[in-house]
Order: sequence, then structure tokens, then C-alpha cells
Amino acid sequence: MKKSIKSLMFIASLMLLVILVTACGQGDEDELVVYSSRNERFVQPLLDKFSEETGITVRTLHEADALQLKEETGNVQADIFISNDIGALEYLRMEDLLASFDGEGVETIDAPYRADDNSWIAISARSRGFIYNKDMITEEEMPKTMEALMDAEFEGQFAITRGGNGGMIGNVSALRNEWGDERTAEWVEAIKDNAGGIYSGHGDIRQAVGAGEHPFGLVNNYYYHQQLEEPNNNNVGFIYPDQGEGDMGVIANAAGVGLVNGAPNEEDAKAFIEWLLLPENQLEFVGESLEIPINADLEPPYEHAVRFADLKVQQMPLKDLGKYFEDTKELIEQSGLDLELR
Amino acid sequence: MSEDDQNYHQLNNDNNAKAGEDTSLAVLRFLRRKWMDSWHGNPPGKVLFLLGLLTGLIMSIPIIYVIWQSLFAGVDRWRRLLDDRIPQLLLNTFSLTVAVTLCAVLIGVTLSWIVVRTDIPGRKIWQWLLALPLVIPPYVGAMTYIIVLGPSGWVQNAWREVSWLVNMFGEYPIDIYSFWGVFFVLTMFTYPYVFLIASASLRKMNRNFEEIARSQGMNTRQIFWKVNLPFLRPAIGAGAILIALYVLSDFGVIAMMRYVTFTAAIYFQRASFDTASASILSLVLMLLTIVILWVEVKTRRKSKYYQTANTFKEPDILSLGKWKIPALIYVCVIFFVSVVLPIIVLVYWSAIGIGRGALDARFFGFAWNSLRVSLFASLLCMVLSMPIIYLKSRYPSVISSSIDKLSYAGYALPGVIVALGMIFVFNNHLPALYNTFYMVAIALVIRFLPQAMQAGEASLSLVSPRIDEAARSLGHPPWKVMIKVILPSILPGVLAGGALVFVSSIKELPATLMLRPPGFDTLAVRVYVEANESFYYLAAPAALIIILISIIPLRYLLKKY
Repeated sequence: MKKSIKSLMFIASLMLLVILVTACGQGDEDELVVYSSRNERFVQPLLDKFSEETGITVRTLHEADALQLKEETGNVQADIFISNDIGALEYLRMEDLLASFDGEGVETIDAPYRADDNSWIAISARSRGFIYNKDMITEEEMPKTMEALMDAEFEGQFAITRGGNGGMIGNVSALRNEWGDERTAEWVEAIKDNAGGIYSGHGDIRQAVGAGEHPFGLVNNYYYHQQLEEPNNNNVGFIYPDQGEGDMGVIANAAGVGLVNGAPNEEDAKAFIEWLLLPENQLEFVGESLEIPINADLEPPYEHAVRFADLKVQQMPLKDLGKYFEDTKELIEQSGLDLELR
Repeated sequence: MSEDDQNYHQLNNDNNAKAGEDTSLAVLRFLRRKWMDSWHGNPPGKVLFLLGLLTGLIMSIPIIYVIWQSLFAGVDRWRRLLDDRIPQLLLNTFSLTVAVTLCAVLIGVTLSWIVVRTDIPGRKIWQWLLALPLVIPPYVGAMTYIIVLGPSGWVQNAWREVSWLVNMFGEYPIDIYSFWGVFFVLTMFTYPYVFLIASASLRKMNRNFEEIARSQGMNTRQIFWKVNLPFLRPAIGAGAILIALYVLSDFGVIAMMRYVTFTAAIYFQRASFDTASASILSLVLMLLTIVILWVEVKTRRKSKYYQTANTFKEPDILSLGKWKIPALIYVCVIFFVSVVLPIIVLVYWSAIGIGRGALDARFFGFAWNSLRVSLFASLLCMVLSMPIIYLKSRYPSVISSSIDKLSYAGYALPGVIVALGMIFVFNNHLPALYNTFYMVAIALVIRFLPQAMQAGEASLSLVSPRIDEAARSLGHPPWKVMIKVILPSILPGVLAGGALVFVSSIKELPATLMLRPPGFDTLAVRVYVEANESFYYLAAPAALIIILISIIPLRYLLKKY
């Protein structure tokens, strides 16, 4: 009997401990809830730096989807949404899920890279293009336009991501704007048939191309920078497509930050955006991604990066991507490219 | 006679006196009588009953919600999925389940035969060494084999170095991200279920039957097919069903190795917020699970093999003779592949990780999250299981056994479905708890409560109901009897159940992954995330900690079989 009383006491004390533990976790201290769909490797150091400098605790959900914000409309959880896709941010703004912002530092970003009400602000830019293995294919042999990927000539020669990848969705949205839906659907179908490999993400593609498994792959430009930094398998080149006379120009997208409408910690959220707009933190946002900072006064962290000013970039304003956000996935899936790997 | 019984008789007398006065009263009275009848005239107290009922409902509501959602997903969506995705998913899921089950049964039975019935060197040690893969969560196993066999893995790098291999077979031929990769990993980390069950029944096998067979001129092989195998059939069936259910519900291995079965499809549909499609796929997966459970009930009823207890003789040990070396090699290879190699890989990457400072404050934060959510879930399970098992054992009736069955819903069904239902329920109806630590903990309770119930029930069956009656006669209501009298005497069983829940919670991946609030990653989630990004030095230490914790209830598990 004595033994059982002892164990009862043990249980009681355990319970007390757990209640204490959970209670102190729920305290209403200064905190910021961030949903991010950008790679955790790039975002976490930035948020750690913010916590350290301001004392505000940041709770982050990585690999979040813009649609989660929509699902939580009646029960808003997030203060800040960080995204790799301007289409997603503009879509949220159109759905009234972002709030306008007028803090300091906004003017460091050119107007085309902000929402009209500054409810989202892009910090770093990337473009689509082809990473190629110089041992397998020469620059002359490489396709020079997006359209060329449809040619039988390149059948089995290149790798793409699954249809649900954010970069791929942005790519297809931009083509819809340029070519219309019918032509775009044909393009998706053709590259799916021509692709020698379909991968989950761009990181896999750059490694596969670097290792010589495919002559080239459709990726974002900073994956090329990342592959150049690898200790081996780094004999790769990059093509910025559609640069010729009369071509549409390279497809661009950007990563940025949005202020959530009805954010539970609105003050901290605004403070975060102002903090982020400080030049040194804009560079921290670019971080290890090796993207190109949008703020033209800043040196790109990757020194050999081609500046956007030197490229022919597609005419479409980035915010137009928002119009296509909702049904581009459907178009991709109906054209036969699975959103997820099967 | 208890208080309630006395009331019951008094009521009866009153009824007789006032019969026929009022129809509405008559209906009430009728209901009351039905109620009494269903409990065989011995209803539990209100507090106890409500506690049990509430728990049973909480356990099943998320799943009912998923079914509800799927029924209102719209004809179009149903048709599209039925035409397009479901046939492929059925094929993928079914072929994987059958292949893994067959192969795991084969390995489990042969190993148990060799270890229990032959003179293989070190047979006592092998008996528990071969059960060790149980402590390695299959998704950790998947990670180790991606490291070893995957692209740019150990074997591929070695392959490139050896020119004659390349000349003879060409490029590195193994694609781990395939049916065969998933099949291999799932088989290697689930066979111990069959091994343990088959070993137990081999040990109980009576030698008399074999001796008679031998006296009739059968040789060892014939005896195995004609005598041993029929006796093993129930064990094989039970093991096969455990494995089939596991394969149906597994998420980690399948997602990490990029194969798509129902669980992965549900997860990805949910991840892209096509919740309606996710619930349709969930409904189909539920039906599949129910079919397997139904097969289990069927076969269990049919196959009753009795051993004659009074003339029991220990089975003798066969001499392997010239087969000694091959048998030993077989056992060693399985052990190496399913335990030694994964541990080597994890230790290797953990050492690198520790060198690179993987064990930072963030890591301990994840460990702390794992610890507190699992601890909380196991405490809740211990508390909530009590009323249910007490009702079931002391007040047997249709109602109490329904409550008991409801509580198994989340245990039998895959974690992705439980999580899907939890998101619906909490986001729509319990916004205050949505996206909190408690949501994860409740999901764990729904998934693992039956583990606590089983352990508690085993202890409770040893306590005589007369003790309860004595306590009741001294004037305690049933819930007080349960806490003051019964709980202390079954405490060891309850604690063992709590420990099981704790370990399962530490390992749990799909529900935690889908429900974690911002900033609340657990070790299991980190293993999954880091391994998917190929940051093995960050994943390995977390995986090793999960394995170390999983060793705790191994003794209990081994004893159970």
C-alpha cells in the first residue's frame, strides 16, 4: 500500500510539472508568429537575428502554404507571411488577407516590387533559366528560349520539377500571361513528355545536372550560383532564356514578406517589416539563397550574379501573377504534369 | 446489494403503484427500463458513465467528421478521383501491402524457427537481438537506407570507384526511390512483429505431436509442413494482419522514399489544401482498413487450435548439421541489415553532427517539445483510459462495449486521417485550442489511448469485482471506488500503459507533422524535415535519441508476446 501511495504522489507531481510547463509556454509575452513558404535554411537565420536584436520571440511554421491563411480567416494565427512567390502574396492581398503597411524604409524597394498598398514587399529576386553541365552539352547546343523545350531535339535531355513546385507554378503563370492558356497547356504537356527526369525540388535538379545525370535542367538562377559553390560537380553553366530580339525576356519572380490582416501581434509584425527593410537585414533576407537583392544600392551576396538591370526581363508586372495563382495549379494538373511525385 | 440496485427495485414498486397514469410518464418509464435492461440492472454512476462516454466521443469525433466531409465533397470530385487517382492508389497500396506482408511473414517465421527450434550458436541471444528492429522507427530506417543506397550514397560512391563493376553492369543500378526501396525498408523494420508472435507459439508447441508424426515415418520437412505450420497458422495470421495494417497506415517511409500510397496522397492533398479530396481518399483508406480488420475477426473465430496442456512437453531442439553455416549467415545478414547498419549510419552522422554543433539550443528545444507533448499525452491517456476500462469490466453492456470500440477508432486508422479530422474540428469549432500544443497532445491521445487501455485492462482483470462491491457497500459512488480502491491496485499496469503511450508519442510522425503549431517542431518532425533536405548530420542525432527512448518499453513488449 505504501508503494502505491508513493507512486500516486509521483503521478501527482508529474502532472503538476506538466501543467506548469504548458502554462509557461502559453504566456502572453512579446511574440511574432511567422508562416513561411521559403526554404527554412534561408529564413531561420534571419528570424534568429531579429529575435536576438529585439527580444521578440518568433514562432515559425515553415513549409506553410498561402492557402492556410485563407483557411484560418475566421481564426487568424499568423502575423507575417514570407513567400517565394509574388503570385501567392498578391493573391492573398486580393482576398483581403493582407493589411496595408506604411512604415519606414518602404521606398528602398522600387514600386513594381511592392503591392499598391505595401501590404507585401519583395526583397530579393530570381529568374528562371537553364542550368547545364558543360561536360555534356555546349552553350551553342543549349536551348535559348522557353519555347524550345517543346522541341523533339531536347527529348530526354533535361530535368524539371513536379508541377506543384512554387517556382514551376510561377513559371507557368507568367507563360499564361504571355501566351494564353491554350498554348501554355501545350507547353506544360510537351515539357512533361520531353523531360528526362521530374524532381521534387530544384536542389535535386542542380545536383543531378552537376553529377551528369542530365545535360541540363529548368531551375531558378540562384541554384546555378549554389552549384558553382559546391566543392565538386561544379562545371556548370547557365542560360538566361528569351534574351533575343523580339523575345519575351526572362521570367522573373521574387521573394518577399506580407503583413497579415488581423494579425494577433500587429505591432510586432510592423516592427519586423521595418527592421527587415534596413539594408543589412535585406541582405540577411537574401542570405544563403544567393538570390539578387532588389534594392539596387546593395551588392549582391553572390558577386558574379548577373544584375537584373543587365537582363531583358519579361514586361509583365510581378503583381499580375496574383491573378493566376488560384487556377494555374489546375491547368498544370490537367495538362498531365502531376503536382506531386507519384 | 448496491445503492443503485435498491433504487431500481424501489422504482419498480412505484411503477406498479402508478401504472397507466400518464402516457408521457409511461414512455419515460419504458426508456428507463430499457436503460436498466441494457446494463443488466446494474447501471454505473452518472459521473463515471459521462466520463467514459465523453472520452469515447472525443476519440471518434474527428473520424466521423472526415467521413461527413467526404460525403459532401461533391459528385464531380468523387468522379474525378474515382476515374483518375483511386485506381492507381489502390494498385500502389495493395501491391505494397501484399508484398511487404508476404516477405515479412516469410522472414519472421523462418527466423523464429531457426532461433527457437535449432541448435544455432547463441540462440538465446538471437531471440531478442532479432526483435531489436522494433525500436527503430521505419522512417528512421528509410533515412539510413537513403544514405546508404540512395543517389550519391555510400554504395553508389563505392560503385564509381570500382571500374569492373561499372564495365560489367554499367551505371549504378539501384533506385531507392521506388517500389522496391519502400518494400525493402518496410519489410526489414516490420518483420519482428511476426518473429515475436511466431517464436512465442513455437515455444508453446507440444513435442508429442511431432513424435507421433515421426513415428509414422515423416521426416523433418514433412513434419514442418504437416504439423508445425498448421499450429503456426494463427500466429502467422495475427502477425500478417499487424503488418498489413502498419503498411496501410505508414506515412514516413512512403513519403521519404517518394512512393505514393493513400496516406501520402492524403497528406499531399491536404498540404495543397484540397481538403475535400483528402477526405474522399481517407474514406477509401478507412474502408481498406476495415476490410483487413474484418478479415482478422473472421480468421480469429475460425482458427482455434488447442494444445493439450496436461501432457505438455518442451519441443526438442533440432541439429542443423551441414545447414549450420548457411542458417547462421542468414540470421547474421538480417540482423546486420535491420539493426547494425542503420545504427552505424546514425552514429556516423551523429558524430559529424555533434562536431558541427548540431546539438544547439534549437535542438534541445525540439527535444523538450517532444518530451512535454509526449508526457502530457501519456498522462491524459492514463487518466482517460480508467473510466473506459472500468466501465467495460465492471458494467458490461452494449453501451460500455460501444464506448470501448469507439476508443479504438483512432488507433486502428492511419494518423493522417486522425489529423485531418482534428484540423476540421478545431479550426471550426474549438478556435481557442486550434494551433496549440494541446491540439497535438489530443491527437496523440486519440491515436494511442488503446495502448493504455490494454495495459490497464490486463491489470484490472486480476482484481476481483468483490473488492468493488465491498467498497460500494460502504457508500462510495462508482467513480470514487475506481479512484480510491481500484486505481492503487492496478497502478503498475496503468503506468506501463502510460510508458507505451509515451514512447509511441515520441516516435509519432504524421499527426504531429500536420498539426504542429508554429514554432513547435518535435524530434520526429525534425528527422523527417532534415532528412528530406538531405541534412543528415542534423537528422541523425534526433533519430538516435528517439531510438534510445524506444528501448525503454522493449522488455514489456517482448514479455507481451
